[in-house]
Amino acid sequence: MVNRLMGGMKLSSDTAQIQGNFSQIREDATTVYERWRKPQRPRIDVAIDTSSLANGALATSNAIEQIANDRNAAIDLGQNHGYGMQWLQPLVTVTWPNGTSVIYGPVNPDDAALIVDEATGRSGAASALAIGVLSGEHTEIPSIREHPFFAQEPEQRRLIARIGLTDPEVMEHYIGSGGWAAFARVLYRGMQPDGVRQELIDGAHGGRGGGGFPAGVKWNFLAGAPGDEHYMVCNADEGDPGAWVNRVVMEGDPHLLIEGMAIAAFATSSKRGFIYIREEYPLAVERMEQAIRHAEAAGLLGDNILGSEFSFQLEVVKGAGSYVCGEETGLLSSIQGQRGQPRIRPPFPAAVGVFMKPSNVNNVETFSHVPLILQNGHEWYREYGTEAMVGTRLFSFSGDIPNTGFMELPFGAPMQEILSACGGVSDGAELKAIHSGGPLGSLVPASAMPTLTLENNSFTPYDAMMGSGGIVFVSDRTHLVILNEFISEFVEEESCGRCTTCHGGNQRMTEIFRRIMNGDGRRADAANLKLIDDMLQQSNCVHGQFSPKPMRNLLQHFREDYEELALQRRDPTLTLPGMTKFRVANPRDSKIEDAVAICPVNAFQGSVGARSINDDACIGCGACTEVAPGAIVREPKQLEAASMPVSAGS
Amino acid sequence: MPLETEARAELRALVADFAPNDGQLMAALHRVQHRYGYISREALEVVAEQLEMFPAHVYGAASFYDEFRLEPPASTTIRWCSGPACRLENGNGIRDAMLAVLGFDDLGERTDDGRIEMVNGQCNGTCEQAPLVWVERPFEHERRVVGKLTAAEAIRITREIRDGESIDGGHETVF
Ligand SMILES: Cc1cc2nc3c(=O)[nH]c(=O)nc-3n(C[C@H](O)[C@H](O)[C@H](O)COP(=O)(O)O)c2cc1C
Ligand code: FES
Repeated sequence: MVNRLMGGMKLSSDTAQIQGNFSQIREDATTVYERWRKPQRPRIDVAIDTSSLANGALATSNAIEQIANDRNAAIDLGQNHGYGMQWLQPLVTVTWPNGTSVIYGPVNPDDAALIVDEATGRSGAASALAIGVLSGEHTEIPSIREHPFFAQEPEQRRLIARIGLTDPEVMEHYIGSGGWAAFARVLYRGMQPDGVRQELIDGAHGGRGGGGFPAGVKWNFLAGAPGDEHYMVCNADEGDPGAWVNRVVMEGDPHLLIEGMAIAAFATSSKRGFIYIREEYPLAVERMEQAIRHAEAAGLLGDNILGSEFSFQLEVVKGAGSYVCGEETGLLSSIQGQRGQPRIRPPFPAAVGVFMKPSNVNNVETFSHVPLILQNGHEWYREYGTEAMVGTRLFSFSGDIPNTGFMELPFGAPMQEILSACGGVSDGAELKAIHSGGPLGSLVPASAMPTLTLENNSFTPYDAMMGSGGIVFVSDRTHLVILNEFISEFVEEESCGRCTTCHGGNQRMTEIFRRIMNGDGRRADAANLKLIDDMLQQSNCVHGQFSPKPMRNLLQHFREDYEELALQRRDPTLTLPGMTKFRVANPRDSKIEDAVAICPVNAFQGSVGARSINDDACIGCGACTEVAPGAIVREPKQLEAASMPVSAGS
Repeated sequence: MPLETEARAELRALVADFAPNDGQLMAALHRVQHRYGYISREALEVVAEQLEMFPAHVYGAASFYDEFRLEPPASTTIRWCSGPACRLENGNGIRDAMLAVLGFDDLGERTDDGRIEMVNGQCNGTCEQAPLVWVERPFEHERRVVGKLTAAEAIRITREIRDGESIDGGHETVF
């Protein structure tokens, strides 16, 4: 750790002194980082992040270590953050003394020997697992930048440029690769807070938390607020299911967020800051807390940063499983130790925030772009994006696609090409919808694909919003209404409970969707859903106000599917248990007794060779068709259409 | 002032470094839960004293959050991912099958012997493993991700857990 400087660091408004203090830190860090990039012996880095762990990275790491020890191999072991291809986790990077790094994956424990072989000089041993060259040259393996998954990324990554190249737990790697230079320069050039804010305004840097409000303008509100007790707050609650882009920054480059917040604090005369992280991200909490301690020890956080007169204390607050705490006033209440209930705005946080003092809330990514903008200038920042939305942002892609992962994309990137990068729709199914913006977001019809791009303006014609980074591709294999039921239940469960419109409306909506899914749709349902929509919009905060959007999208863009389901009571996907019957088509199939054994509700009746399924007992989980696909078939339940005949266009 | 028991003294020491009016309630509650697996009534009182708050306020706040437990946890918790990618992969069928094996009507229930509990979980962005559940042992601070499930596999592991066997599938992750 570089903490020895603290003692020797001189307190001064003398800019040369500040610059000197930083140069010293940077020099030491650069040495460390250069040794990391060009190690004396080959090094194997296993990606350690939430995704890699879920794919078995610890077992892989242990296996590699075991083999390296057994062979007494002349290599070192390290860690980094996965590059973005989560479907190829566990990812492993080998770096050789000449600075060449190659990413391999998926590296399972059984592949450990091949990776050690490859690292210790048996070149080509692991070539079947090679994905791409991260840095340096390699004669046989193409650059990772040519990988089809990243075809829509800019030539060079910006926000996540360090991902894969550094160990996120080593501060010297951040500093040695250019980190903290932006903030140090602000201090030693004697830049004024308003100059910093203006740079962001000139860059049209918009918030990444969903609303897109210009960050520099928001900071002006706080800078102009009375008193000298201002707070800078980071919203790292990232509650939208299917969005995990803030997680990548916090686990992959935690010091970038810290530097961004320190600059924001300087620009707004804030002396104290909080990072509110959802508790579902324990590794992000760990890495952020550790990074803060390291920065403090190096004199980059705390009192008199780099020996200047500027002080900033930063701490992590861990949430406890409440989605609505991501709403900024709910978040502020939670930090103060209250129920995380949003309140009516105004007053806005810039007037009344944490501890009733002027505060500012921004998303993780909003802060994390700031050092880059100051370092490279607002014109550089404007090189990517569109007229309305400037720059790049992280997106996470999941759902019915083979290639799940994250990318840094310019705003305005074309959705059709992105879907191709994700490997198209899984199993040759057709795309049905794009679910964006989380539970308060949208269901965009697949017909939008040819012109849909990643910016808000492209989503608005569909009464939809792009949201804060999570994009879920939905195929026609599963009935879309499953997502509607999930969303309305989610919003109801996560409602703070203050507005009856919100918790009552979403409860009612959930009941209606459940009844429809059970084959008991009614003609009045659509009108009642519309009524709920109108009512929900009267809620106090955006949680209630936006919650009817996915349901509205269902009725707007998927009307035929809705009516087929609710009125004709037919589920063409045969995925809704209430409308699907399981039948033994071949009682002599060799696997039929496996199906009998796996059934969790003993729904099979009759004796061996003459098995049938008791429909009343069956819960439709599908386990029997998985183990005995030749014996059991799914069929539509014979249900009568909703009372009146459906006339076309009704 | 309630009588000072040993448990109370231990609680007091556990939260002694938290200061009032400084945004430290969440941290104090997390620390108590990490140590004991839940936040007892007594702990609520001690935290309230330490932070100079009314116990009712601390209770009100703690009860707002899904992840603060006011009762001891089961020794094994199955946390079912309710997120979109998991739903598209028969997540509902997996949930219903697991509930059936455990004899539950809904999430949030636990077995009569108090050993096993099944709760609702949130997507944390490991959707490449969808559909998935997390199997947790709160007292041991252990969590495994069991992903790429089928309904049949979900039934098998739930039966193993129900019958007291340790499951060997899945991957260890951070708790
Ligand atoms: C119910 C609800 C949940 C929200 N969750 C988040 C979240 O998890 N992260 C986030 O940055 N913003 C979230 N927001 C938006 C915030 O209220 C706020 O607009 C945002 O943090 C501002 O940051 P920005 O200006 O940097 O975009 C949420 C809003 C609502 C209504
Ligand atoms: S939806 Fe289950 S992990 Fe993302």
